Parts: sequence; C-alpha cells; structure tokens
Amino acid sequence: MKKTIKPVMVSLLAMSVLSACGSNSGNNAADNTSSGGNSSGDKVKIEFFQNKTEAKATFDKLVAKFNEANPNIVVTQVNPPDAETVLKTRAAKKDIPDVVGIGATDTYKTLSGSGLFEDFSSDPLAESIQPAYVQMLKDLTGSSELNGLPFSSNASGVIYNKAMFTEAGVTVPTTWDEFIAVAQKFKDSGKNAFYLTLKDSWTTLTPFNSLSTIIKGNDFFKQRTEGTVTFADSFNEIAEKLLKLTEFGQKDIFGKGYNDGNTAFAKGESAMYLQGVWAIPEIVKANPSIELGVFPFPATNDAANNKVISGVDTLLTISKSTKHKEEAKKFVEFLLQPENVSLYINEQKAFPAVQGVTQDDPTMDGFKAAFTSGNLADFADHYIPSAMKVDTINQAFLQKKDVDAYLKQLDKEWDKVADRK
Amino acid sequence: MAKRRVAFYLMTIPALLLFFAFHTFPALQGIYYSFTNWDGFSDSFDYVGFKNFINIFQDENVLNSYVFTFKYAILTTILINIISLLIALGLNAKIKAKNFFRGVYFLPNILSVLIVGFIFNYLFANVFPIWGEKLGSEFLSQNILGNSDWAWIGIVIVAVWQGIAYNTILYLAGLQTIPQDLYEASNLDGASRWREFWSITFPMLASFFTINMVLAMKGGLMVFDQIVALTGGGPGRSTQSIAHLIYTGGFQGGEFAYQSANAVIYFIVIVVISALQLKFLQKREMDL
Repeated sequence: MKKTIKPVMVSLLAMSVLSACGSNSGNNAADNTSSGGNSSGDKVKIEFFQNKTEAKATFDKLVAKFNEANPNIVVTQVNPPDAETVLKTRAAKKDIPDVVGIGATDTYKTLSGSGLFEDFSSDPLAESIQPAYVQMLKDLTGSSELNGLPFSSNASGVIYNKAMFTEAGVTVPTTWDEFIAVAQKFKDSGKNAFYLTLKDSWTTLTPFNSLSTIIKGNDFFKQRTEGTVTFADSFNEIAEKLLKLTEFGQKDIFGKGYNDGNTAFAKGESAMYLQGVWAIPEIVKANPSIELGVFPFPATNDAANNKVISGVDTLLTISKSTKHKEEAKKFVEFLLQPENVSLYINEQKAFPAVQGVTQDDPTMDGFKAAFTSGNLADFADHYIPSAMKVDTINQAFLQKKDVDAYLKQLDKEWDKVADRK
Repeated sequence: MAKRRVAFYLMTIPALLLFFAFHTFPALQGIYYSFTNWDGFSDSFDYVGFKNFINIFQDENVLNSYVFTFKYAILTTILINIISLLIALGLNAKIKAKNFFRGVYFLPNILSVLIVGFIFNYLFANVFPIWGEKLGSEFLSQNILGNSDWAWIGIVIVAVWQGIAYNTILYLAGLQTIPQDLYEASNLDGASRWREFWSITFPMLASFFTINMVLAMKGGLMVFDQIVALTGGGPGRSTQSIAHLIYTGGFQGGEFAYQSANAVIYFIVIVVISALQLKFLQKREMDL
C-alpha cells in the first residue's frame, strides 16, 4: 500500500506547485474576471470550428500567433470534412463550438434563425466591417440581428490560363457569345476549353450560380416562395446555357472530381476553369509557375450586366451558450485586426470584408473593376433550401440533358420541401 | 441458489441499462420526433401527426433510394456468398502456406470501409480508365462512378471485395466442423467432387449459410460508408441509399423529423425482411 501512496502524494504536491506558478503568471485584472468560474491558473480552452479545408494551414498560423500572445487562452482549430453537416449535428446535440467560422450559406441562415449565435448588431467590432457585407448577411437571414461578423469574401467567375490564351491568340470574353466563340476556338484546336469536375455535384453550382444570379437575380427566389413565378417559365435560358458548357469539357466530365480538376487545370489540361477564387491556392500548389487570370462569368450578352458573384466566404461568430465569451470575443477581435486579415487574404486569395484592407494580387485584376464599382451579387444557392439538394438535381440534369424534366423537377422539389415545413 | 441468481442479475442489469440508454431510448425518441416538424436544432417544434409519413410515400427520392438499396443488397449478398464459399473451399483444401493465404484473404476486413472507399475512388477515376483505354473500350475508359446507370455496380465491386473476407472466415469455420469420415465414406462409394459438395459439404454448412446470408443482406441494406467515400449518392441521386438519404436529408437538409419518419419505416422493413429470411432459411435447415 505504501508503495502506491508515495508516488500519488508526490505528484499531487508537484501539481499544486505547478498550479501555483500558473496563477502567478497570469495575474492581471482582465484574466481574473474572465476566468472567474475556473480554479485559478487553468487555461481557458476555446474551440475554433471552421469549414474551409483550403484555409486550415493559414488559420493554424493565426491560431498559433494568438496562443503565443495570450498564454491564458488555448485556441484549437477544428476543421472536419463535410463541416457544415458536422456543425448541424453538433447543434442538434446543443454542443456548439465557442467560435465558428462559416460561409454565409443556408446552414448559417438556419442556425442563426434558431438563435444559436450572438447578436453583434450593437458591437463596436461590426463598425470595422464593410457595410455591404453586413447588409448581405441581413438580407440572407431576413432578421434585424447581426449574428456573425463577415471576415473574408470570395469571388466566383472564370479562372483562365494566361499562357494558353496568348498562345491561342484570344482575348478575355465579356459577353456570352464571345465566351462560346473562345471555347469553340479551343475545342477546334483540339484543346479543352473547360475542365469540368461533375463527379462532385457541388461544382455544378459555380456556373449555375453565375447564370441564375445574373440572368434572373436573387429576388426570383423570394417571388418563387410567394408563388408568383415558377422555374418552368423562368429558368429555360439558364438550363440551356448550363448544358451548352458541357460541350467544351474534357473527356469523362462526370468521372472527375474537384481535386482532380485543380491538378489538371494547373497542368494546362484546359484553358479555363469554372471555379471561384478559393480554388486558386490549390491550383498554384499543384503548379507554382502557372500564370492565372480571372474574369466575370459572361452569362449574358450585356457586358455591363455580367456581375461577379461574391459572397461572405467566412464569417466569424460566437456561440450564445459558450462559457468563455470574453476569450472567444478576444480571439474574434484578433482575427479581425487588419494585419491578420491581410495575411489570410494573401494566402487564401480571398477578398477582405474588413475596411482598410485590400486584395492587391495581380491575379485578381479581372475582378477589381467589379469590386470598385460594386457590380457584385450574392450566390443564388444561398437562397435555395438545402433540403432540395439543387446540386444533385443539376448533376442529374447534365447527364440526362432533358431541359423540361429538369425545370419541372426544380419546381416539384421546391414545393415538396415547402410542404414538409 | 439465490446467490447464483444475484450474480446473473448483476451481469444482466447493467447490460440492460446500457442497451436501453444507447439503443432503445434513442429509437423511441426517433419515433417521437417522426410525429413532429423538428428541424434538428431549433428550440421549438410542433406536433404534426402523420404528415411526415404521408409525405414520405409521395417522395420519389425515397422510392428511388429503396430501389437502389435493394438491388445493391441483393446483388452483393449473392456475390459475397458465392465467392466467399469458393474461397473458403480453396483455403480449406490441402495447400501449401494455408495460413498465409487465410491471412491475405482476411486483410480487407481489417481496413476501414472509408479508407478502402477512398482508395477505390482514386482507382476508378485515375487508374482503371487508363487500363480501359489500352483495351480500346470507350465504356471502360470512363470512370464508372460518374455514370448514373453503372455507378451502383462500382459500389457493388468495392463492397464485395471487402465483404468476402468476413464471410470467408465464417465459412472456413463451418468447413472445419464437417467430420472427415463423411468424405472417406463418400470416397469409398466413388462419389465425384461435385456430388460430394452438393450432398455433404453444402448441407452440412446450412446453418452457416443462413447466418452468412442474413449478415450480408443486413450489411447491404445498411450501406452508408461506401456511398460516402465513392459517390456521395451521385450522379444525381442514382446511388443514394436509404441510410445516406436519412443522414443527408436529416442533417444537411435540416429535415430531422421528416427523415426520422423515413427511419421508422425503414426499421419496420428491415425487421420484416430479417424475420422472413430466418424463417425461410431455417426451414431449409430442418429439411435436411
């Protein structure tokens, strides 16, 4: 018996000494108030949950920097695959991470609608955010509360390989007809105009969002809810154009996924890539010497109307039920500091939502005009209920190529989901 | 006597409590939610009666997932049982390095379904099409998982490849239970190999055959991980299994209650199928 008691006593003593040291080192007023409930000297653990796999390494850097500056707080980043679903399942268990980084999507809309996140509308932090993005969040949720702070935004259109454009002697298209002419030219010379990654159904959404938002506008979905319009009489042009794009893809467009596409496009297997700027870091990783450019998706023949699709890519928010509100706030405040925002947007090729920071990468020149003039619009699929799974409906349509059946199905699924509410 | 009974209760009651807490209670909860309109995270919800069940029967996505799941489950059950029985017969024969081969054939069972799925996903996208191209076949040079008519066969291939390992072991165990003197007797009578299999081996394996059929069918009906790793239910909804639909619709789609109703119906279906299978196959055992 004695033999076992001795080591236990020793380790207990050692622990009490250690914890005494801990409380001495963290002895300023702010820490004492914030860690009130804890026994003195315990580090406050904050879970930072975010949904962008591409941004994991960048956030790791920022988290490390924060942890170093704040010895009493330990932030851990959680970035599971299929993060939005994981977040919803955790919400069902009432186990919401302290700090959440998520896009302004339907998931954000439903979760904030359930009152799970803090309200930032009277928070001074909100004043540093560009008003347009704050408005975007309010439009999305339809509530006067501001349940998240936009951190970065993205832009979606067309990414192109500058060297291949020069070689083929074509210029950047600004209208739909020019766009198809350029694509045809590549096809005629035996090259792929696009590298399509339709095995991953979500990648159908990038061209779909551009076409739908530019041609019909996102008010369409509000009118659809009111019942004044239908997909069948409004979406014909969108469906036709979506289908047209598949004629210029590589062989086996349904057999390749997003990751295959990033690598193949980086290796010059196609001249254009229908993706948003979030794909650029992955493309550059696969081929650091590639020269990339971007241009707005030319959905119509009215060049001035071809908006860049831009949404809040990551917004930061704090769980209402967190036990460490002060520390969580401190971390969010840290991320929103201009130097940290610019580190993030430079690595992620994103656009800042915070005032006073700019994206100066020459790759993005093609989007700059739209950003300065505000020729931007939000993603269409943020307004479509996620239970409809519009991406899989698109994927099936592009295989079966039946426009009428597709439009009918969109209407039918929309009504079915509305009826089940 | 009383003392012994106490010991039995001590063993049974904790197990019963655990089973109730982690199995029965959630199942009852699921049945309760299936009569509400809860989305999975809101604070409040309403009682909606049988509305979810009525909507299930009008939803062709549900029907579509039932069709896929059943054709998948039936085909994998048949293939797994035929192939694993053949492999078990081979491994039970007098061959060299018998234990080595047994280890090799059991290997796929140790790997996680997801890892196997992701490996095959890569092979289907990048390796098999190159082989197909060399064979000069237009069909084989495409990723089978990207074809809405054939993607389910791709999933069957992966599931069978992995599924045979476990069933082979069960058949091997069964083969060891057959007394050798039966074969000696049949040898004396001059029975052919074929006759020996149908008249001795297969009937003696009857109970193992039953359990393997039920297990493989149950595994097939529950298919989920393979779908996640290989197709995500696509292209379109052509490879969406019932379990996958319940999960994605319930959590991604925010229709927790609606998919709970789907799960309740599915639970009843599985119970009925397993009961029928056992009744039918065990009757076959009796006849011997």
